[in-house]
Amino acid sequence: MTCAEFQKSLPYIIDGGGTEEEQGHLEACHVCSDLVADLRYIAECAKLLVPMEDPSPRVWTGIEKGLQQEDMAKPARRSS
Amino acid sequence: MTTAKKVLASGISEQEAIARAQQGDAECFEALYGLHKRRVYSLCLRMTGNTAEAEDLTQEAFLQLYRKIATFRGESAFSTWLHRLSVNVVLMHLRKKGLPEVSLEETLEPQQEDGPRKDVGTRDNVLAGSIDRVNLQRAVESLPPGYRIIFILHDVEGYEHNEIAEMMGCSIGNSKSQLHKARMKLRDLLKQSKAEKAAGRR
Repeated sequence: MTCAEFQKSLPYIIDGGGTEEEQGHLEACHVCSDLVADLRYIAECAKLLVPMEDPSPRVWTGIEKGLQQEDMAKPARRSS
Repeated sequence: MTTAKKVLASGISEQEAIARAQQGDAECFEALYGLHKRRVYSLCLRMTGNTAEAEDLTQEAFLQLYRKIATFRGESAFSTWLHRLSVNVVLMHLRKKGLPEVSLEETLEPQQEDGPRKDVGTRDNVLAGSIDRVNLQRAVESLPPGYRIIFILHDVEGYEHNEIAEMMGCSIGNSKSQLHKARMKLRDLLKQSKAEKAAGRR
């Protein structure tokens, strides 16, 4: 199996799966194994991007205004 | 003390706050906003790359939450349900803008990766151990919108390919292919950043 053939399948096998031939190429080829290691490392590092920022207070102000408009648009409830 | 903390400090669980918000309790709705605003806003910001847009979309997501909260039945976690709603708000917005990321069947960039990667160099060129949050954040922000969305949905937010395919209206194979391209682009950007850093030290 060539690197081109292996890398063509890579999107579909990187997160699991792959034939014996593909696995064999991965074990034998340092270029493709380094590539796979890099891509898996990048995917793992994505977890570093935890939510860190709050929206500014204007967002809640906008929501409050929107809620008031929605409430005004609703038909008045009849008391039971 | 924020409203969220006040509500929860008074002994009301999030589950109870949801139930009360469903009945129209404004304070409990505000508490839910306080609890979830960061995650919703971060999602919007990462997917759009623009602070003002992200704030508008966060606002829209919570207004939609207000309209739809009565339909939440607890079949999934509330955070999951709200997150999904937020993703849909962002995708609708991007579709209205007519950005190419919503037609994932098309290639988003000229095919630069037709040939196999034959990285010449020593094995010191691997990325392992060299990525920090700041560099990764910058690299993700530099991605073309279509790649950025897929990477965020799958690798950051943890959606599966079948879920992404359903949200984006594409095939599972296409979702995998686009994710791969996103990761390859990130790899290039991060290696470039690493090389620049090393050159700067000399």
